[in-house]
Amino acid sequence: MGEAVDGGINDMEDVGRQTAETLRTFKDADYAKQLEQALAQKTALLHEIDHRVKNNLQLIASLLQLQSRRIPDEATRQTVRGILERVNAIGAVHRRLFQGGDVQRFAVAEFVRDLAGDLAAAARRDDIQLKLDLEPVAVPASSAAPMALVVNELISNSLKHAFPAERPGEVAICIRNVGERFEIIVADNGVGMPAEAPRGFGTTIVQLLCQQLKAQFTQSDNQPGVRSVVSVPLEKLA
Amino acid sequence: MAPRDPPDVLIVEDELLVAADLQCIIQDIGLHEVGLATTRDEAISLARRYTPDLALVDVHLQDGPTGVDAARLIAEDCGGVVLFMTANVRRLPPDFAGACGVIGKPYSEEGVRLALRYLWVCLTAGYAPGPPPVGLTLSPEYQARWAADLPMSA
Repeated sequence: MGEAVDGGINDMEDVGRQTAETLRTFKDADYAKQLEQALAQKTALLHEIDHRVKNNLQLIASLLQLQSRRIPDEATRQTVRGILERVNAIGAVHRRLFQGGDVQRFAVAEFVRDLAGDLAAAARRDDIQLKLDLEPVAVPASSAAPMALVVNELISNSLKHAFPAERPGEVAICIRNVGERFEIIVADNGVGMPAEAPRGFGTTIVQLLCQQLKAQFTQSDNQPGVRSVVSVPLEKLA
Repeated sequence: MAPRDPPDVLIVEDELLVAADLQCIIQDIGLHEVGLATTRDEAISLARRYTPDLALVDVHLQDGPTGVDAARLIAEDCGGVVLFMTANVRRLPPDFAGACGVIGKPYSEEGVRLALRYLWVCLTAGYAPGPPPVGLTLSPEYQARWAADLPMSA
């Protein structure tokens, strides 16, 4: 630019043009920098919120755990443990949600593997085998928690009720793509459902959330045991 | 220095209800807790005093995101094995600040039990009894260290 100024009055036009160009570049660079800063700020905020959600879920879980240890009445304690288990299922969702690169999608199979392992370990039953056959399925992140709660109920129902003391068995969990839908199947070879079983809270949870997910829920005799199928239409998931 | 059996455990966590829950789990599985710190300085001073075999360290403490620094000092100065327990897995440096691994929050009680029992074996035997349980991620350094010392028969 200095050279142009030295070149005389005719070059002033060039100088002007060059200055305008330089200014525009500066402005563009400035704008890009601002955008970058805004993006960085937004990402930091997202991480901060993610971090707070996870910590608060941990706090809720720890609270329930501490409380449950102090309850002498077995039935009451089991109720609180049930709530804790559901909070843990939601917690497992959040642990997985921001782990991969994609914030919008939730990998169902990986989550089910985590949760099933956790539930089986918590059941403290070495004589119950888990069999996993999981095809990869991704659902919108907004469907992750209801999906997790449904799967949690089905697996934990088999682990808790299918195999009364000393009866060994197997719980098979399968995820498979069927055209525009995918199915989550939880099948055990346990004692089966009693003919006049009172509808438990777990069943209510499964029915309500399947309704929310526009999913079909069917339960049948696995001869022996119970076979539950949740069929989810992928395109209807919000 | 060979770790004690059961190993001495230091908790570094500023959320006291979460710490209380952790204390119960540690007691349940038979580990020996030596103390609870809620800040970086407290953590380092307790670590120097007790030279714990295992320190469970959160990244965010009462004085800010100082857990990483505390972990590095505990690992380097006090010879303790550090395990991060944090909702901030992303904030950990690639070398885990010398820690052996991380458990992400929110964790399940069962996940922590399995992970701590597993680390107990790693600490006392010097090698891993198998792949880490779900929920526990080992640092590259410790993964290599505990796999390398595997006896030939395994």
